[in-house]
Parts: sequence; C-alpha cells; structure tokens
Amino acid sequence: MVALSIGEKYFIQGGIAQDLRGDGRKRLTPRPIYVETGVISQSNGSARVRMGATEVIASVKAELGRPSALHPDKGKVSIYVDCSPTAAPTFEGRGGEELSTELSVALQRCLLGGKSGSGAGIDLSSLAIVEGKICWDLYIEGLVVSSDGNLLDALGAAIKAALSNTGIPRVNVAAGASGDEQPEVDVSDEEFLQFDTSKVPVIVTLTKVGRHYIVDATSEEESQMSSAVSISVNRRGNICGLTKRGGAGLDSSVILDMISVAQSISEQLINTLDSQIAAAEAGEDES
Amino acid sequence: MAGQAGGTPSTYSPSPTTRKTKSLILRNDDVDWVRTDGREFHQCRPAFFKTGAVNAAAGSAYAEFGNTKVIVSVFGPRESKKAMMYSDIGRLNCNVSYTTFATSVRGQGSDHKEFSSMLHKALEGAIILESFPKTTVDVFALVLESGGSDLPVVISCASLALADAGIMMYDLVASVSVSCLGKNLVIDPVLEEESYQDGSLMLTCMPSRYEVTQLTITGEWSTPKINEGMQICLDACAKLATIMRECLKGPDSALEE
Repeated sequence: MVALSIGEKYFIQGGIAQDLRGDGRKRLTPRPIYVETGVISQSNGSARVRMGATEVIASVKAELGRPSALHPDKGKVSIYVDCSPTAAPTFEGRGGEELSTELSVALQRCLLGGKSGSGAGIDLSSLAIVEGKICWDLYIEGLVVSSDGNLLDALGAAIKAALSNTGIPRVNVAAGASGDEQPEVDVSDEEFLQFDTSKVPVIVTLTKVGRHYIVDATSEEESQMSSAVSISVNRRGNICGLTKRGGAGLDSSVILDMISVAQSISEQLINTLDSQIAAAEAGEDES
Repeated sequence: MAGQAGGTPSTYSPSPTTRKTKSLILRNDDVDWVRTDGREFHQCRPAFFKTGAVNAAAGSAYAEFGNTKVIVSVFGPRESKKAMMYSDIGRLNCNVSYTTFATSVRGQGSDHKEFSSMLHKALEGAIILESFPKTTVDVFALVLESGGSDLPVVISCASLALADAGIMMYDLVASVSVSCLGKNLVIDPVLEEESYQDGSLMLTCMPSRYEVTQLTITGEWSTPKINEGMQICLDACAKLATIMRECLKGPDSALEE
C-alpha cells in the first residue's frame, strides 16, 4: 500500500483532472516501454519488459505432454504469475498470493480465449504433435521484479515478447506405432519452429481516478483509483478479454466508452511493442 | 428474456433432473439448433430463491436455477481478527466452495480461489462498508450442484443473503452471463453450452442504480456484440432483481394477510 498525505492525494487527483500527471504525461499517454528478449537461457523463450519503474520477466517453457481427453487435437497452455516479495514487502504471504492469482486469472482470460478455443491469442492446435497422444505443454511464467503500477499490461507485453522469442523444437515422430502404443518421438535440438504471435493481444488497463480515466497508472495513481478496467485487444481491434478491478460501480456507457478508447490506444501499443520486439531480437542476434 | 419471470415469478416447478446424454455437436454455422432444455436463446432458466436457509447464520439464501443449486450464508458483522489492522470501514470476506459431488467428476476443485475474489469484487461496491467499522462480514457460498452459470447464481444469491442478514447495501446485486456460440448469444448457459462456448460475458450490476459492479469477458468479441451482450444482461439483471425483491418481501407480506 502506498502511503500518501492529503496534499499528495489532491496533487494526483487535481493533476489528472487537468490532464497533466505527476510525471508530465497526459491522461492517455503511456510510459515508454523497453523490451529485452532472450534473457533466460534455460527457457524456450523469454523477455524482460520495463515501463518506468515497473519491471517484469516472462518465460516460456515447452514440454512434451499428453493432450486432455476433451481436446485431443490441442496442446495445453498454463499461465502463472509470481509476485516475489523482493519487489514489494506487501507481496509477502497472502497479499502476494492473492495478487498472483488475480493476475494469472486475468492473463488466462485475456490470452486463452473461450472454452472452445476460438479467439485465443495462442493457437492451441499448432501445439499438437500426434492427436490424442502427444502435444506440447506451454508453461508461461511471469515474474514481477519491481512494481510501480500497471503490472497486468507489462505482463501481457512481456508474454507477447517472450512468445515471439520462443522457438519450439521440431519433432520427428517415428512411424510404425499403432493402436494404444505411445509413439516414439525424436526432439530435434537444432531445428526450431518460430511461434506465430500475430494474434496475441495486448492488454490496456484504464484506471478511473475521480471522473477521468488514465492509461498506464503508477502505483501512487493506482492507490487513488475507484475502479479499473483491463481490456485486451488484438490486432483486428476485437476485444479478447475484459476484467474489472476495484469495487466501485461503473455506468455501462462509461464501460463502452472505455472499450473504444482502449481500442485506439492498443493500436499504438501493438505497433510500438512490435518494433521494440523486432529491435530486441535484432540486438540479440548481433551479440 | 422474461423467461424467469413467467406468470408467477416466485414459484418454481421442479423439473425432473434427467441424466443428460452428450447431445449433438453445436456447429458454428448451424443457426437452427435448439437448446438442450428447450429454452429460447434469450430466455433464462426459471429462478427460485429462498431466504433463511441456514438457521445459525445471520442471513442466508438458497438459489436454484435449473440444475445449479447454491446456498450462501452470511455471518457477522463480527469483530475482525486481532491480527488485522485497524480499519474505519468494514471488511468483506468471501469464500466460494464446491461440494465434492457438485460436478460430474467427483471432488474436482473444492475451493475456487478465483471465484472467491470475483464474488468479493462483485459485492464490495454494493455494500455500505462504512456502516460497520472495525468488523468483518463473512460470506460463504457453497455450490451444491453445478449446472452452468455457477458464478452469476452465487453472486445473486449472496446479495440476497446479505440483504437477509440486514447488511446495508446501496442496492441488490444481480448477475447474469451470456455465452457466445457461433453467431448466437445465449443467455444463462447450462454446463454443456458453457463447455462449447466461443466466448462468455458475465455482467453484475445494481439495477436500480444502473451501475455495473463487475464485468468479465472471455473470447473474441467485436464492439457491437459486446453492446448487444451487455444490453441483454442488463435487461435480465433488472428482471432478476425484481424476483429477488419479491422473495425478500415474501414472508412479510404473508404476515400481513
């Protein structure tokens, strides 16, 4: 929890009302975003994203597994976020656990789409190897290194960057296995398949402070919020998921207004993120 | 949409719990399919509410929407635990759990952490927490049988239980979800429809104040579709709230007679 004096609270609220925030930004200006890929050599793909003082790491690990009985032609993806107490003392114990589940559920909702798999940012059928027998299990893990507000957007961006950094080994299935036998597979350690991330949405959180809402709030600004709406938008401008935080109610017209604002912001965000990812990948190749 | 209202809103004719067989696959382009329980797309299941289901609780409610059966009890306001910091507003503690026999596979997920936090978020905006400082209100929800749209039923039932316990609220909270199946929007989906859905939208609101306290969307939605889905949910919530209000009035009006 951020402890603020009454004066500081007025300063934040008044600044937002006048469209000039404490760090000189306007209400709908996000902080600059920095992306670094390939930061963890142990995983199949990883990325570090920094927005102001908020810093998160996402890692993608692929393991061979068995598809579920309900969807034999699809792989499995699990998303988990860890809020380490090293980032903030409040993350210790139950507080961190609650935030972790909240972020994990929100990310799952935003990235995995509906139960039938439509609208998912990650194409699960591309993870299948042998129908009903072998598939890839993707373990996407996020870590909050340093927290200064807007964790969900940063984690969403980091996962998108990590996925585009992910190489999934090519698998050769030995022919001849029939019936119930588990086919033998040969995992190549030289050939990697690039993951298609064009459909992965970005997350835009609009935080309502007073009568206005702001994008990319810092933790001081978040402490003054009445409610926040996180909207994930894909490249086509469609909504892929929406979560509301904070207790205060919102008028339905305000929510629709927020959705349209999020759509226009997401367009810029996708473009900046793409160029940042491309730059990070190029930088990694050189070194 | 007035499905649950019908002629006499607060009565409920028990439908035989038939053992469901795997129905035909709901194909995306197929517009003419019929819902398994014969409802129209924009028709809710008949709703049944009853307050005072648990004697030991300060307030409680039982809700039955088709096969979804939920019981919620509210305890408190009572003194917050000693370890908790002083707070000049009340605390709300929510817990949603499933019985081991609630789902077709035994003992799956007895504790739903994300449901608990969703219930908390849906209710906290409606409760006047300033009215009971230094104390905690516990809301315990138990899903006896899961038949689809569990969370919306839990939320509506919990707000009724809170009202039964005499906790001050701005308004009753009603919640409804819609599933997106292909081109169609299907309100109040059953378990089977939920497992085939392309996307879902759950809306929780305070109908008299026309305020949305919680909204979650999964799957890919275009803006006009979200518009449509929200409108359907808001209408249904308003109707659900009248049924809930009838239920609260029920015993008193009976006494007057």
